[in-house]
Amino acid sequence: MDLNSINDFLAAAIRMAAPLMLVGIGGVFTERSGIFNIGMEGTMLIGCMVSVYVSLVTGNLWLATLAAMLVGSLIGLIHAFLTVTRRADQIVTGAAINLFALGITNLLNSQLYAGFEYRPRVTMYPIVAPEVLQELPFIGPILFAQPVIVYLAFLLPVLATWILYKTSWGLNIRAVGDHPHAVATAGLSVNKLKYQGVIISGMFAGLGGAALVLADLGLFATGMTAGRGFAVLAALVVGKWNPVLVAAACILFGAADAFQLRAQTAQFAIPYQLFVMLPYLLTIAALAGLVGRTVGPKTVGKPYDPESI
Amino acid sequence: MNYKINKLDSTRLLDIGGLVLSGGRPILAIILAFLVSAVMIIIQGANPLEAYSAMLRGSFGSVAALANTCVRAAPLLLGGLGVALGVKAGLLNVGIEGQIYVGGSAAAAVGIMPIPVAPWLHLVLAVSAGFLGGAIWGLIPAYLKAYRGVSEIVVTLMLNYVGIQLCSLLVHEPSPLAEKGAFFPQSPPILASAQLPILIKGTSLHLGIILGLIAAIILAYVLFYTPFGMRTKMIGQNPEAARYAGVNVKKQTVVALILSCGLGGLAGTGEVLGLKLRLFDYFSGGLGYDAIAVALMANSNPVGVIFSALFFGALRAGAGKMETAVGIKAPIVQVIQALAVLFVIMIGFVEYNRKSKQDKRKEQMPEDTIYGSELNK
Repeated sequence: MDLNSINDFLAAAIRMAAPLMLVGIGGVFTERSGIFNIGMEGTMLIGCMVSVYVSLVTGNLWLATLAAMLVGSLIGLIHAFLTVTRRADQIVTGAAINLFALGITNLLNSQLYAGFEYRPRVTMYPIVAPEVLQELPFIGPILFAQPVIVYLAFLLPVLATWILYKTSWGLNIRAVGDHPHAVATAGLSVNKLKYQGVIISGMFAGLGGAALVLADLGLFATGMTAGRGFAVLAALVVGKWNPVLVAAACILFGAADAFQLRAQTAQFAIPYQLFVMLPYLLTIAALAGLVGRTVGPKTVGKPYDPESI
Repeated sequence: MNYKINKLDSTRLLDIGGLVLSGGRPILAIILAFLVSAVMIIIQGANPLEAYSAMLRGSFGSVAALANTCVRAAPLLLGGLGVALGVKAGLLNVGIEGQIYVGGSAAAAVGIMPIPVAPWLHLVLAVSAGFLGGAIWGLIPAYLKAYRGVSEIVVTLMLNYVGIQLCSLLVHEPSPLAEKGAFFPQSPPILASAQLPILIKGTSLHLGIILGLIAAIILAYVLFYTPFGMRTKMIGQNPEAARYAGVNVKKQTVVALILSCGLGGLAGTGEVLGLKLRLFDYFSGGLGYDAIAVALMANSNPVGVIFSALFFGALRAGAGKMETAVGIKAPIVQVIQALAVLFVIMIGFVEYNRKSKQDKRKEQMPEDTIYGSELNK
């Protein structure tokens, strides 16, 4: 690889990591609150479609983003209702949400672009850095020629860390995943905190979907999230449920993704499939204790029953 | 002891009220799903009754339609049984998708090999390879679950992508399974001797559905009438009590999960040896996730899985007919199936199960979370 393609690769890696990082923030909050949300994959997919639809109708990029977040929150609310109030199995509920998302987006796909002769690209997130900076050799395209959402994706994990570790609400969220009964004894509503965690994950999954469309591709395609939501679940394990570390894992996974796309076209010595596998193998290794100690929030996956101690 | 177990279980099986109730919930959920989808069909400007009757004709209306339903039900049945067996042992195997790819690849590897044996033996070898492929793949989550305390849920979920990519790797040159100079990444065709025989001429109905039915009956027998089945259900309901009763919980966990993964491999085997007749990239396209829904609808009862797999198969088989008849796009059946699952969850026998299981499990908290455990600290 020459310098130009390395440059191009790094810029793409950062751009492709941004949606993962956004979804990852939500993932931290829901798993910290003790609810596993594999429905983030489907929520993200619906976020993609909603953002394209609103963008086509209103032409406003920010409305499209907000709509995706809103619909994502709504799906989060459904997941929270089923898993927290009804105490349904979290995996099964999330899997059902994924099935629903796949079905509804496949169904509406043909109507999404009804009235258009070809699939137009919607308005993308603007690149805000001054041109002088964008034209800097090497670092310009990587750091400054990025759509504005990428900077948000880098800022939010820091903010999330502050919220999680420096505010009392953050402490409550962390506590409710580890010791729900202690939280209840302290007079707080366990269910309310869990609802908040899950809804946040839905909101960020929607935002991640919007980012995937509006930062990179500009159009909707069926099944376009292609397992990115599951990659975020992997990043949560590798990043040990810490927003900044999770973001770092997402960058690594985004880089693996960008790299495999390039390895697919360039006849590279190592098969590209190995790079696609990498995040998932890394996660299993982390869980198996091969790369340091990884223990998740203590009650993830278990429904909270106030009567059982 | 054995006699007593049989007795207990047969009385439970004859509990008609319970059977009706457990069958009633999914049926209610399915009716609700059809009602909600009817509203969506009306919004799209079609008559839901016409749409549903076209769907019915497409799934049961003729021999060809019925064959199509069975072809589509076969992988869901085998995969659903895999999930169901896991659930009975208290294990959630969400990795059927990956096992379909690995099992399918193993079956294809044997199926394209010109082995100098009798044709029936070649087929048996290929099918066994598919089962073993899934089962050996299952050793990873089984070992991690039993001996490292790592939840099988996350591991099987993550292994899906590894399995999908492994299959992709195998059909791309220079892999020995890839067809040389092919335009499309694929394996050479499965040899005629290793193909699952076609049951009705002129249709694609292959032996896979029979394999599934046999597996369902065997699984039902094993679970309800053998000590092995009793032990499996014991570790599912209360591992601590099972250990006191002298069950080797670790061994039983490993065996149950391996068999569950093997059934997933068998689901892929049927697709490769019976339907696709080559190994392709991404040939399953999500069947493994649907298998979870299939098992859930049946509350993990092996006999119930037969009906729920046929129902899901019928939905898919009828989708095309409905699309040509009334112009509603085929993916509406994916919506119907997802809604049915969501309504089942909402109505809540899952919750009921978890609750009763939890009551029995109160004593042993640590090992029960999705990630890690005390062992890992």
